[in-house]
Amino acid sequence: MTQVDEGIAALAEALLVLDEQRAIAATRELIDGGADPQAVLQRGLADTMLEVGRRWNAGELFLPEVVAAAEIFRMCNEIVEPALIAAGGRTLGHRVVMATVKGDLHDLGKNMVGAMMRTAGFEVHDLGKDVAAERIVEAVRQLEPSIVGLSSLLTTTVPEQRGVLAALEEAGLRRSVKVMVGGAPVTEEWARQIGADGFAPNAPEAVRVALALVGDERLAGI
Amino acid sequence: MGGERSPRPLRGRLRIDILTEGELDRIHEATMDVLESIGLRISSGRILDALAESGARIEAEAQLVRLPRRMVEEAIARAPSTYVLAARDPLWDVPIGRGEGYLSLDGCAAEIEDLETGARRPPTIADLTLATRLADAVNEVAVLWPSVAVTDVPPHAQAVHQTLVQLANSTKHLQAMSTFTARDARAVIEMARTVVGGSRALLDRPIVSSFQCSVSPLTYEGDAMEAALEFALAGVPCGFVAMPIGTATAPTTLAGHLVTVNAELLGGVAVLETLVPGAPTFIGPYQAFMDLGTGGIDLAWGPEEVLFKLAAAQLVQRYGLPMNILAFATGSKTQDWQAGAQHAISLMGVAAACEADLIAATGTLYGSRVFAFENVLLDAELFDLVRHLLERCRVSDEDLALEVIEAVGPGGHFLGQAHTRARMRELWMPRFLDRRTWEEWEVAGRPEPRDAARDRARQILAEHQPDPLPEGVEPELTRIVESHEKEAKGAGR
Repeated sequence: MTQVDEGIAALAEALLVLDEQRAIAATRELIDGGADPQAVLQRGLADTMLEVGRRWNAGELFLPEVVAAAEIFRMCNEIVEPALIAAGGRTLGHRVVMATVKGDLHDLGKNMVGAMMRTAGFEVHDLGKDVAAERIVEAVRQLEPSIVGLSSLLTTTVPEQRGVLAALEEAGLRRSVKVMVGGAPVTEEWARQIGADGFAPNAPEAVRVALALVGDERLAGI
Repeated sequence: MGGERSPRPLRGRLRIDILTEGELDRIHEATMDVLESIGLRISSGRILDALAESGARIEAEAQLVRLPRRMVEEAIARAPSTYVLAARDPLWDVPIGRGEGYLSLDGCAAEIEDLETGARRPPTIADLTLATRLADAVNEVAVLWPSVAVTDVPPHAQAVHQTLVQLANSTKHLQAMSTFTARDARAVIEMARTVVGGSRALLDRPIVSSFQCSVSPLTYEGDAMEAALEFALAGVPCGFVAMPIGTATAPTTLAGHLVTVNAELLGGVAVLETLVPGAPTFIGPYQAFMDLGTGGIDLAWGPEEVLFKLAAAQLVQRYGLPMNILAFATGSKTQDWQAGAQHAISLMGVAAACEADLIAATGTLYGSRVFAFENVLLDAELFDLVRHLLERCRVSDEDLALEVIEAVGPGGHFLGQAHTRARMRELWMPRFLDRRTWEEWEVAGRPEPRDAARDRARQILAEHQPDPLPEGVEPELTRIVESHEKEAKGAGR
């Protein structure tokens, strides 16, 4: 095992036991030491998130632990990303842009979905909460994601999901991306009605639907 | 729903002490009156003679014994308030009198619901073997009753065959609750001694216990009382259970019902503690009411059931006697809304009313007449839920979590906090209550919790192997069973 391999193994181990400080220190050491940022991201972080997902699926981990892992992942990724961009490297697998729609400050459900998506290898770009349709359109234009995920908790903000779809249509981007909707008051019927491509009633199901939408073969394993 | 138009609120809150001290006094006084002036019928000359020598007033021809108040009160005082129901595996020992309530299997169901076909049929030795093996694997079940009355052995040998099956298929304590004669009792005692290694060992570690039922109103079979004495002399705890049917074999009013139940149970304890002082015992005031229309047992299990339980619990606690209480009873024919409601209300009543030592009894439906395997698992889930509920809300600094509240601040969330991860596994997790989304439930074919419980029962029965009896013990037990069967047959029962 090379020194880099050892460092990546240490990072993976720290992420798996949810040791935030150790994971950040390990990432920094690798990047500062000149390790290939693509390898750090893939083998140190993304593959470990897959393992987190596997353990969640086996009932060994609970959602708060997945959320904590995703948060550590995000912090480590912030260290890796500049190096990655400098090296001109591509990032991970399928890209997802997520947002809680305008007028809605409830982002917990969306955060859970984001955490679970990371355990399935998706590259998640979270735009936050109370996000206007124009910002989502802009993000789709720039990031070229495979999937856009829209969340709303309030019955009063659910119609905004339709507004985002219309804005994507208007910008000529609707065909380039799959749109998933979710949130407590959202139903499959609503998703169909507004012409969304996918709906899920909870975070784990969202991962299954997302994998199906991008035609991923790992459906059985998740 | 018809009737008067007005909203129907829950009024006030559950008062755990539903009887006042004054009311308890009146029930106690009435009970003493019954024992002193009306008396109990006990159809055993041997026992009546012995009681006469101890100061009871006997009416030999009518087989009546009238127990002076002093005799009853002294007898109650002689009953030990703590002892241990030992188990073949000491890890399963059940301490009595520690303010903890342990769940038992239900006993002697006349029928069983076949695990594969779902059909109702007479139970066999093979069924009892499986039921015992299942209970051995379910942690919430602490005490075994013979779940079903096996029909493939001669009736007079049922008790010993059942004991053999239970001893061989579980390391938990067993309560031989269908041991109706002194001869049965001697055989069960001999079997228990064989397992633990002699009579001294059984005195120290009684791996079996028993109880006898009164024949309401105010009667004990002589055979039953002689069996109780046989057990007591061998150091085997023996309790008394009364299950009169209100309106039929007890007065129709709750207070009158309580008086007869109390008289039967205290009378049993008085006989036992007078003739075998210090014998470990307990009392079980079980509730049942008559269906006014048909004369059968009321399978609807109404509010009287719960009221009776609460009142009886209060009464037993006053005497400081170990208590057995009936929690799981339903008239339903399947594990449905009725069964769930009756079990939950009843168990909450138990949790609110008392710290009964023994909680009866899981596994049956239809007024304890039909055993079904999945019931044990579903009841265990409710039992576990209420067990957690009784752990109450702790308020230490760690529990108050002020630092965590500050770290998250307004608008954040607690999912990512180390405090959450450190403590979340203390939260109760169901095994059978359905937590799926509607969509998942549709895809799974709209299953009910009992379907998952049935699958789990099958899985346990396929995988769980109870610790075997020590080498050479089982053939010896079989020999005892065979010789008892012959002897009992010769004696004409």
